[in-house]
Amino acid sequence: MGKKRVGALEKVDADLANLQYKIRRDPKSYTEDFLNQYGQYQSQRDIFLASPSTATSTGIVSFRDLIDFVAHVADYFPADTASFPSDLKTILTLHHAELESELREKIVGSLVLLRRKEVIDSAELLNTLFPILVQTPSKTLRTLLFQKILSDLRTSNSKSINHKLNKTIQTALFNLLTSDRASAKGIWAVKITRELWKRQIWTDSKAVEIMKEAALADNEKVIGGGVRFFLGGDKEREELEDESSDDDAPDVGKMKHQIGINKKSRKSKQKLEEAVKKVKKTEKKKQQPHPLNFSALHLLHDPQGFAETLFSKHLQNSKSKLNLEQKLLVLQLVSRLVGLHKLTVISLYSYFIKYLTPRQPSVTSFLASLAQATHNLVPPDALEPLVQKIANEFVSEASAAEVASAGLNAIREICVRQPLAMNDTLLQDLVMYRKSKDKGTMTAAKGLLSLYREVGADLLKKRDRGKTATMGIKAGSIKERRFGEEEVGGIEGLELLEQWKADERKRKRVEKGLPEELGPDEVDEDSEDEEQKGWENWDAESDASDDSGGWINVDSDDEINISDSDDDKPAAKKVKLDTLAGDEEKENTDKDQVLEQKISKLATTKILTPADLAKLQELRLEASLSKAVGKPSSRAAKLKALMDKHADDGLTAEDIELAAKLRKTTKEERVALAREGKGERGEHKSTQALRRAKKDSEGKSTTNREKARKKNFLMTLGKAKGKGKRSLKQVSGTLKAHVERSKRGGKRGNVGQ
Amino acid sequence: MGSSARKKKEKKKDFQKTKLKVGKTKAKPDNFTDTSFKSKSITVNQQSLTTNAPSSSSQFSHYLSLASSSKSDTQRRDALSYLTTQLASKPVNTPMPLPTAIILPKLLPLILDGSASVRTQLLKFLRLLPDADVADRAESALLYIRAGMTHLAAEIRSDALAVLEWLLEVADDDVVACPGGWVKTLKSFMSMMGWAVSNTTSKWTAASKASFGKSGKSFPKQLLVLAQFLKAGLVEVQDDFSVKAVRTSWPMANSQNFMIPTSSNAFAHLNLFGSSRDEEGEMYIDREDRQRVFEKNFLAAVNTGVEIAKKEGGEAGRAATVLAKVLKEGMADYSAVDDTQ
Repeated sequence: MGKKRVGALEKVDADLANLQYKIRRDPKSYTEDFLNQYGQYQSQRDIFLASPSTATSTGIVSFRDLIDFVAHVADYFPADTASFPSDLKTILTLHHAELESELREKIVGSLVLLRRKEVIDSAELLNTLFPILVQTPSKTLRTLLFQKILSDLRTSNSKSINHKLNKTIQTALFNLLTSDRASAKGIWAVKITRELWKRQIWTDSKAVEIMKEAALADNEKVIGGGVRFFLGGDKEREELEDESSDDDAPDVGKMKHQIGINKKSRKSKQKLEEAVKKVKKTEKKKQQPHPLNFSALHLLHDPQGFAETLFSKHLQNSKSKLNLEQKLLVLQLVSRLVGLHKLTVISLYSYFIKYLTPRQPSVTSFLASLAQATHNLVPPDALEPLVQKIANEFVSEASAAEVASAGLNAIREICVRQPLAMNDTLLQDLVMYRKSKDKGTMTAAKGLLSLYREVGADLLKKRDRGKTATMGIKAGSIKERRFGEEEVGGIEGLELLEQWKADERKRKRVEKGLPEELGPDEVDEDSEDEEQKGWENWDAESDASDDSGGWINVDSDDEINISDSDDDKPAAKKVKLDTLAGDEEKENTDKDQVLEQKISKLATTKILTPADLAKLQELRLEASLSKAVGKPSSRAAKLKALMDKHADDGLTAEDIELAAKLRKTTKEERVALAREGKGERGEHKSTQALRRAKKDSEGKSTTNREKARKKNFLMTLGKAKGKGKRSLKQVSGTLKAHVERSKRGGKRGNVGQ
Repeated sequence: MGSSARKKKEKKKDFQKTKLKVGKTKAKPDNFTDTSFKSKSITVNQQSLTTNAPSSSSQFSHYLSLASSSKSDTQRRDALSYLTTQLASKPVNTPMPLPTAIILPKLLPLILDGSASVRTQLLKFLRLLPDADVADRAESALLYIRAGMTHLAAEIRSDALAVLEWLLEVADDDVVACPGGWVKTLKSFMSMMGWAVSNTTSKWTAASKASFGKSGKSFPKQLLVLAQFLKAGLVEVQDDFSVKAVRTSWPMANSQNFMIPTSSNAFAHLNLFGSSRDEEGEMYIDREDRQRVFEKNFLAAVNTGVEIAKKEGGEAGRAATVLAKVLKEGMADYSAVDDTQ
């Protein structure tokens, strides 16, 4: 079509953007013009509906532009455009397959726009888009719809959680998965749920239930999606959270400084205000209590049933079509569930037997899964043949070093979780490998040895037991652990709190001039006061001031005395404690040297105040930090940490291969490892320059020395000249002053420190 | 002087003979131009290798497709004029080269064509089509006519009116009785003439700001076509064919009613297979129905419009008088029927 000459007025007519702008300014005056356009839209729509596949948009303004225009101003004429959203919906649902792609995108975009203008509601929009997402063969449309659906769900949940909408969508997804288990369409349910889980929009058990159904589907892709979600969804969520918290607020101090220097304008002022607002907002966010987010594995309803069905459907079933990789994933999930929830799936262990040979592909994953599936309630009979088989197949002089170390590592990981799976002949045999020439094998065997020194020293030969274990056995403090026996638990960090309290009390008494220790008949007033303070604090925090008065009265003075003086004078006042606790106490005093930890009685004898709880949290954090920094901790604690590890992160094949991997590192890798965290040294520079650059990047200023060195020499000339003309006395005076000053430690001196 | 020595050497180089070697290909001369090329497709210049000319029917369909889908407007116009001459020069009783059912759907979108010459040529062509065939396709033609009537460009609007005029001449009954033909077309008229009524009743009566309608020349024409349209829909036709048919002898008196219907899709008004229709898209077969709907939705607006146009006088005033006459005639026997809805 050649250039068309149009009159000025007509030009205005054809300019829909212009008309849209005018309508926005003054909808009433332009009603008629809108109606004309709407009529044009309707006739174009009729033409389109008469033959959707062949209709081409001809003329000056295309159907697409008309739709766009009407969607933009529809909210000003609600009565006239009442049928517009439903028109779009029917066009999209009926003809999405044959629509021209641009028109299709425009219709989707217009629907979303109508939703944003609140002409239609979210549920209506999603109920239109979702069936198309599942049906359409076009990839571009699918990506567009997926993105739109996600963004709409996010926006409608942004201010407050839209429970109703979430529920309807979750039900739709659930039905999609359960209606036809063999179809690949369920992958969309998985994708949407995973994305929303990642962004912490869906954190409830319903979402987990959807994923559970996905994992139990018949289609490989859907199964993979569901299983991967359980194995990695939570990690993904945490990573995203870290990332989002990383993007820091603007530097307000810098901006203020710049405003002071640069030209003052309203714009810069506004910018500063915005920045301050943003900073305040982020700070507020930081101070908000962290929302409780349970991991998907914990939100699972009926994990036993889930694990059993997963196992029997995908692994035991000979008709299942999963390949090895997918099977491994499922196996990982099953074993993770078994380990985490301490489930009993006995047939799982015999399933492992045929895979435990060194020739089996990715055998380390199998070994890791086996170790993961072990917990202290697994019958040793089920595990013993497996351990035996691993020992026979992997650990021998003839086998390769990696194989032997992997086998030993696997056995150790199993035995950490269930020590009773080992018998003494096998153990003594395996421990002998600590003399191996290969480093990996040697460390693995040593690991096994040190483990059994802790958990079952009587299985070892006498000379292997080590000093503490031998003494423990002699004294009777190390007893053989029975199957199903649970350790007596306590509150984590309680002993730290107790210790801290005792220290505090001593400090106070020293301040008052009293002896450190409490006399037998002195009433501990300090602690009582402290107690009161703790509860008062609680009163201020909570509004329930009437009830809390009664709370304080519950603690009788005597009890407080007893609990506080546990460490020092245990024998004197045990009358009030119940008999069981008393017995334990007696035992404790007997074995005080042998036992490293004893269960603190703080929590059983008195009620912890909120102040106590806050302190406890602080101490716990401190302890975990010091552990992370690398302060040596007791061996038993290490063991416990090892056992708890799989609760958070599953055991991976890398853990089993670890030693073998260590040996295989090349020089480059080692160099890279050493360089790690030492900063970039891109160009060749002096150390001084590097330090300077680092300081600059941190926004730190120069030292006086540096300033002096950099000073323009013309500025220093005058002083230098003057120096030459001084009299002898003046020179000696300055020299003396210099010496004096350096002794004092600079001009201002460091007397205060 | 090193550079000059080098230059000398370079100059010499031009005249040196290249040495030929056994077993090697001959070196290319300096002025050799590589003329080989690669191409992903091969274009054949000569499109047809047959020596005898294509048949007239195949040529007709070729031009038909040119007219409907060519990008250049001169080509479209030329193709249309070819089709027109073909159809005009056809001997009287010979069949059409292609049936109307194929031709019409291809050419109707041209009502909205941007080029004026194409649209006038299209109208010329349409006038040559057999009436009976067009009557069956009035509905699809009306779709495009309505789009043209509400089009942004004034020229397209006036040309669409011309097409409607033709259609009313050819098949007035079908135009007003087909689904959507009555109410939707009236609505298009209203919006075209600026008499449109909004659903929202506001107290404001604002003149059009961005000025869609009422360009002076075309307004009387619009009034006249509207009058024609209303006449087709509202005024009773006096000499009906059915009256003649009834006059048969007694046993065959009602036989007409039991015969296979002569028109296509005789039960269209039952709408057995299509999607459900609303008030706008409904078929209004009876004159009374049309009167009722017209009275309910449009009469007031049309009356005020006519009054204003009458006051304008001139050509528009005369046209308005014609329209008023048709209105009077059409609504004369309409007594506000019990409006049950």
